[in-house]
This record gives sequence, structure tokens and C-alpha cells, in this order.
Amino acid sequence: MTENSNKKSELHKIADKLTEDIQCMTNYKNLYNEIQRLVASSSVKKEDFKSTLFKALNDEGLETELRNTVFHWTRSQKFMKDDNDNRADLSYLKKAQIQWERRIQKSLNSICNELNVPLARIRPNSDRDELSEKWNELSTCDFADLSQYRPLYAPKDFLEVLFSVRDPSFKKQVNEPNWEFSHIEIRVKTLAQLRDMYKELSQGVTLLGVNGNIPSLQNYPNLENERVHVGAKVLMSNHAPVAQEFLKRGAPRALRGKLWSLVLGSIVKQNDIEYYEELKEMVLQYDIMVDKLIIKDVQLTASNDDQYFVFEDVLYKTMLSFSRDSEVLAPVTMDKSAGGQVIHAVLQGKPTTLENTLVFPPSGVIPFHGFTMYGMILEIKYFYFFSTFELYVFAATPFCYLYDDPCTMYYTFRAFYLRYWFRLHTVSSHEQGIVALCLLFERLLQCHEPQLWAHFRNLHIQPIKIVFKWLMRGFSGHLPPEQLLYLWDLILGYDSLEIVPLLAVTILSFRKDNLMQVNNLHTIEAVLADLSSLKVMPLLQLSLLEN
Amino acid sequence: MRYHRCTLIKLKSKRCLVCQSLYEMANIENKRVGSNSSTTYGRVLNIGLDKMKVTYCTDVDKSVITYNFEKRGWKQVGPEEDWNFYWAATISCRNIFSIETGYRMGDNQTINHFPNHYELTRKDLLVKNIKRYRKDLEREGSPLAERGDGPGKYLYLDFIPVTFVLPADYNMFVEEYRKSPQSTWIMKPCGKSQGAGIFLINKLSKLKKWSREARNPFNPNLTKESYVISRYIDNPLLIGGKKFDLRLYVLITSFRPLKAYLFKLGFCRFCTVKYDTSIQELDNMYVHLTNVSVQKHGDEYNSLHGGKLSVQNLRLYLESTRGKAVTEKLFSNITWCIVHSLRAVAPVMANDRHCFECYGYDIIIDNKLKPWLIEVNASPSLTSTTVNDRILKYKLIDNIISVVLPPDGIPDVRWNKCPTREAMGNFELLIDEELATQDEKENPGRYKNSLNKWK
Repeated sequence: MTENSNKKSELHKIADKLTEDIQCMTNYKNLYNEIQRLVASSSVKKEDFKSTLFKALNDEGLETELRNTVFHWTRSQKFMKDDNDNRADLSYLKKAQIQWERRIQKSLNSICNELNVPLARIRPNSDRDELSEKWNELSTCDFADLSQYRPLYAPKDFLEVLFSVRDPSFKKQVNEPNWEFSHIEIRVKTLAQLRDMYKELSQGVTLLGVNGNIPSLQNYPNLENERVHVGAKVLMSNHAPVAQEFLKRGAPRALRGKLWSLVLGSIVKQNDIEYYEELKEMVLQYDIMVDKLIIKDVQLTASNDDQYFVFEDVLYKTMLSFSRDSEVLAPVTMDKSAGGQVIHAVLQGKPTTLENTLVFPPSGVIPFHGFTMYGMILEIKYFYFFSTFELYVFAATPFCYLYDDPCTMYYTFRAFYLRYWFRLHTVSSHEQGIVALCLLFERLLQCHEPQLWAHFRNLHIQPIKIVFKWLMRGFSGHLPPEQLLYLWDLILGYDSLEIVPLLAVTILSFRKDNLMQVNNLHTIEAVLADLSSLKVMPLLQLSLLEN
Repeated sequence: MRYHRCTLIKLKSKRCLVCQSLYEMANIENKRVGSNSSTTYGRVLNIGLDKMKVTYCTDVDKSVITYNFEKRGWKQVGPEEDWNFYWAATISCRNIFSIETGYRMGDNQTINHFPNHYELTRKDLLVKNIKRYRKDLEREGSPLAERGDGPGKYLYLDFIPVTFVLPADYNMFVEEYRKSPQSTWIMKPCGKSQGAGIFLINKLSKLKKWSREARNPFNPNLTKESYVISRYIDNPLLIGGKKFDLRLYVLITSFRPLKAYLFKLGFCRFCTVKYDTSIQELDNMYVHLTNVSVQKHGDEYNSLHGGKLSVQNLRLYLESTRGKAVTEKLFSNITWCIVHSLRAVAPVMANDRHCFECYGYDIIIDNKLKPWLIEVNASPSLTSTTVNDRILKYKLIDNIISVVLPPDGIPDVRWNKCPTREAMGNFELLIDEELATQDEKENPGRYKNSLNKWK
């Protein structure tokens, strides 16, 4: 009896929290309006309110919308809790993160001082007009001289930070190398656990991206055909969890964009279009120093890449809008890994009053829409966050292949970013964080490719050093677009980044014979420089298949 | 990580598919890594070195060519010496075949051009041949020559823009022009390449002015030159706001029966400047012409990617954003127009068994995803503009050599010119009329289906 009521109250609590949280979700207003409209319609009867409402919800597809909303809520809860918190004192990781943020801030300030440019100012009218006119072809904009601007940091700088992370209670043995992550007490999965998690791959189900021509198990001409048909049905049903399940075996090209949007809850609604327009307005209104760095980074990466150069202009737009998006900032700053220091940025040429300080609400509670020029606290997090554009560019580029419409692309990129990528450049103990992924890579390599491990060790080369770029960018810019999209299908399908280090180990294993023949960092990198011939799905299946 | 035992996933077919796909990948990998040693890349040629060493000759001084020959252990000789394989410029090829020289090729000699390739590669002759081909088919009552709405519109054979030869067809052009006086036309000198001498016109007066100037007594050469004038495709498919065309490589080993192969690693060539149809930009060739030789002089030219996007990535993009069915239709229409351009010239080609030729096809896709054949080049550029370009052209030459040579690696006109699947590398068979006829004899009805594929 008591147990039952306990359960009941537990359920009650969850329901309360759910109701509360849903009201803060971006699509709440839309959903609420839709339901109100439905209640007022003739299909809902006052006499039999409950059952007619349910029926109407179902008929209109709103039930599915509600279910999807709960699904997205559950997903967001999953990553909020951090299992590692209770077991060991990992506060030194947080310290490392704070130090890292400080370092970036310093570096940013020093660029400003060196170049004598303000952090933020109101954009002069002439610039504003030019920007507005050329919004769709920003590559033709004459952005002042950018040669003096330099990227704030490269993956190798961040890796240095990770290398210097030390558990204070850990006593280093004399012959212990200086660089393993193994002493950091984060639990990572073993290969057996990964096999359990990536069940479909380890049981050898047929996957797209291996060979689309293989026969189908159902009545279709071949696997590709089957996947296209089933995928279309999944999209029709509009059920996000089903779409997530579907992605585990690889998405057909033509359906991928829609499937991803469904799983991430980033289907564009009218209010999203308006919000996207507001972001553009913000870009036009304020000239923030990071804009230059963003442009520089797009120039250095995508503009020079033969797989992405055609999307240069879309990327400028996306990145600039992204940098003004407070909805991006909120989840990141609320995350436990945040260092959370605050600085103020006063608009240039204005007296230091509250009115002239820019505000990016740290909690995200104040919506951007209602935002007036009232007191602005530029969080260090903001600058820290937006100093890693190179990574945004890498995180955004693959989406160019999926969506023609920049707005649709923006929201899916953003959702993907907020779910996964931001953890790749913060020091945290999160199981999806970069530290855990590095550790997972090391453990797998050490356990399953001991020869390679020993080879690297004899050469005094840290294996992580070789693959860190891959991990930090989720392989974007390294794998050919098609293969990259398959990899990201799996990230979404299994809702985890653990597949990324697993693929890194698999690639080293696949090229083991060549790696064993070379003996310095330069030649090792040469062996691994070109990944254009690799196929992601068969490689991963190879490493996960059970004996 | 060798966990894989290969017993688990037998699926419905007997072979393990993961294994197979890994095996293929490993093959590519080995080639990739081994490419600096001279034997491992590509096929290991089984030549009895003491019996016969293949000799080659070339007057195209491109490292991608000589490197491929040397890697095979071939010996370089001069054009007067005893060569087996000649990679020639079109002019030296013409000399060899001209009656005055009286050069007779032996059974073990092969050369990279057909004697009268210009039937396909000269802009005016290509148009002439295609027009004749359509008329012939129409006369035969072939369903291929079915007409659609409007005069001159063919349902299936309307794959080149409306074109006239100037000055010969001037009156016909004017008649056509008058039908839609707002349209833009593009003028190209017949015998030039790489975008030289090309300009756009949108007024008849401009053409008249050009014609007056061309007859200028100070510039007498210009009158001799003939031009083609074609309706300008003013609604090209744009990506990122920019115009592009496709450069595809098509290898022909025989015209009668027709044996043609398409290289899978073609690319798109992008303009560096946003597409703009306004009259002010009509003379801005950076907007309109995709030729790398033109674009590389632009301020916006990027030498790291050279404005080139692979056809595979184009396909990925189109399939993702436009859907599978329309993309597949586009690509099958592309092969359709290549095959019919070849059939159009096949009857007039001198089908010398010593010859093979790799053509550079230029195709523009319009915003309704219809491909248009713009022109065909006899000597597509082998200059590498970027690292990837170099790899691509290296593979192209390597694959050409392995398709055109018999399995023993020595040129031989008596060989049936049916390369193994492995020898084809990145080429895929477009059409082999000989195999198709054989096939039809063995399985009547099957060829009919494959013909339908071209529709």
C-alpha cells in the first residue's frame, strides 16, 4: 500500500516537473495555441470533454507532438545528471575548466588591446547597410583587414590543457608517462559494454553504408529500397523515438535531413522563423569583436575546403546568427561544466552606465524577444564560448549537405550542437565530455591493440595526440561528407558520442600494419592524413561484431 | 582489433557482406599506401621483361602521364622510334594519320586519339552531327526521335542548346532570334578552347557590330574563323548562388561497335562570382564561364580547392536536398546525352583499332535539373590545379591505361577490348554494343530492357 502510494507520489513529482519544464520549452507556445484552438473547435464536446479531446488530439496529430515533446524532455534529462559526481571528487576538472576560460579571456582581451578594437559596439550605419544588403553573399563583403586577427586557440592548445589536468590525490609512479588520462576517475565503457549498447551493430544487422545493393529481408528489391520505404513511413508517423531507432541502421540520403530534425525536435515553426530573423537583426545592430574571428575562421576552414567551399555564404550567416543566440548560451552556461565567471562589456563610446552594457541573460529566463537595451552583462562564458568558432564551422558544415534552407539548417545544427558538440571543448567529467572520450579511446587502444599502444609508447608519442583533432571535431573535415553523415546518424541513433573514439581506435587498428612501420610523429600523421577511402559503417561493425 | 569471425552475418546471401566491403576497402588502402613503391599500385603487370619491354612516347609533358608509364616499367622512346603506346597531342596524331607521312601502325601500337575526333570535339561539327542523327532517326521512324510541343523540340534528343554556325546559318539564327528577342545567346569560336574568344550577346545589333568589326581590314584573320552561336542557358542550377558545370571523362575504345566508359570521379567547376543575369554583368566572364583557365585569373580564385567539387558530393547534396528520384533521373539523363552524342558521331568516325580516346564532356545542369551538353574536348586538361586534382588525374590516366590494354599489358589490336571489372578501376561501362548484341543473342529481351534504361 505504502509502496504504491510512494510510487504514485513519485509519478506525481515527475509529472509536475514535466509540466513545469515543458512550459519553458521553445515549442510550448505553439503547442499551447494549437491545443487551445482545438478545444475551441467543434470536434471537442463539452459533455464528453475528456474523450472527445483525446480523440481530437489524436486526429490532429497533436498527440504525437505531445509525445515527441515528452521524448525531447526525457532526452534532455538524461544528460543533465552526471553519474560521476558521486563517486570521486572531480572538482579539479572544474578548476581546469575555469583556468581554461580565464586563459581564453586573457587572450581575447590582449587581441583587443593589441588591435585597439572594442569588444562590442553599436554597428555604424554604413557598415550596417552593407551587411544588410549583402546578407546572402557575405563573402563579397569587404570586412576590414583581418590579417591581424588570429584564431584564439587550436585543438593542440586545448589538448595541452587536458594533459595538464592532474588528480591531486594521484601519486605518479616513477616510470609512468606524463600524459595518460587513465588516472582520471571517470567510468568509461569497455568494449563488451559498447557491444551491448550498440546492439544492432554487434549483432550484425544489415546497415546502409555497407552495401545498399544487398538483398532485403523483407519484400523489397534491396536494402536501400527497403530503408527508403520504411524511412518514409517513419516520417509519416512523425514519432521522434521511432525516427531515432531508425537511424541506428543508417539513413537514406533523401530522408536524413527530415529524420534528424524530427529526432532533435528542430522542425521549424513560424515562431522559429521570426526568431531567426531577430538574430539577423542583432547581428546588424551590434558589432562584436568575435564577428571578425568568426569570419576569419570560416575563411580558414570551409572556404578553403573542396568539400565545403560552395557553402561559404550560408556558413557566415549561420555562424553570425549563432553568436547572437541566447538560447544557445543558456543551456551551455547552466551545464555543470560551466566555469560561470562574469565580465561586463560596455558599448564603445558610451558612458559606463547600465543602459550601455550589453546583456546576454545567463539563465536564459529572460527571452531574447523582450530584450531591451537594458544593462548588459557579457558573460565571460559568452566570449569563451564564442571563441571556438573553428569548431562551430566544423560542426556546422555537414549540415550544408542536408538542408537548402538556411533557417532549417540553422535549427538542426543548433540542436545537434547543444546536444553533443559543446561538450567537446569544455573540460568536464561528463560521460559525453571530451575527457571521458579521450579516456575511452586510450582504454580501447590499450586493451585491444596492445602492440600499437606499446609501439607508440616506445616512440614516446601520445596516441591521443594523433586522434585528438578527429575527436574534437567529431571527424568533420576529416571524413568525406557522406561517411561523416553516417557517423552522425549513429550519434543521433544511439544518442551518444562514444562511437567517435571507437571509430578512431578502429581506424588505427585498420592501418596498424602501416603504423607499425613508421616511427615518428610526422610519418604517423602522414599514414593517417587521408581518410577518404574509409567506410565508416563496415569499419564500426567490424570492431563491434561479437565472436 | 580482429574480433571478426565472419560466421555471424551470413544473412541471406552466402558471402559475408561486411567482409566483402572491408576487403574492397583494404584493397584501396593498400594501393593508397603502396603508391610510392612502383609495383603495388594498380594492376601488377605481368610482362615477360626479357621478351618484350613496352615502349612509350609522349609529347604531352605532364608528370601525371610520364609517372604512370614509368611506374609500369615502360621505356621512353622518340616518335620516330619503335613505340607501343603514344600519348600524343592532337596535332602529332593528325600527322601520323595523314596520307603524306604514310605511317603504318603495327599490331602492337596504340595511340590516344581517333584520326577524325573533331567530328565530336569541334563545336560546329558536333552540332551538325547531332542534327543529322536526329533527322536520320526521325526518317527511320525511331521512337527516340519523337517530337514534343513546339517546333524543333525533341522529347528525348533535345540535349544540346539550340545552336547555329556563323556566318553560314546567319539567316536561320535571325529567324530563331526573332521568336524570342529577349533571350541571351553565347558566341564561341569553333576551333578554340578554354573559354577563349567567348562572349554573350542579347541584342542583334551587338552581333552586327561584332560582324562589322570582324571584317575590319586590319584584322583579316577573324573573318575566316567560324563561330557557333547557342541559346545561353540562363537558368543554370546554382549552389551557394554560383554557377557551375560538370567535367566528366568519357573513354572510348571503339566507335563501331560503340564501347564507352564513364569515369566516376568527375567534378563540378564553379564560378568564383555569384551568378547574375543583369545586363551589366553580361560581359563579366567570371560570372558566366566556368572554365578553370578563365576563373583562375579572378581575384576570388582559391588555389586550394580550385573551385572544384566532386560529382559524388554534388550527388550527395542533390539527393539530400531534392530527393532520390529526381537526382537519379538527372544522372541517367546525363549518361543518356553522352551515349547519344557518341552514337551521333559513330557512323562518321574513322574507327581505327589502334585508337582510343578520352574526352572531356562539359555539361550544364539547369534549375529544372535538366542536363545540357555544352561541348566535348579531345584533350581535356591534365594540368593539376590542386592536390586532389592531381590525385584524380593520376587515377584517370592509370585507369585509362588499364582499360585500353589487354590483360598482358602489351597493346594488341587483335584483343577484343573487353576489360575485366578490376581493370576498369573507376570507370563504369556506359555502353558496349558488342556485349549487348551477344547478350541479346543469349537472352533475348534482356537488351531491350537495358535500352529502356536510356530513355
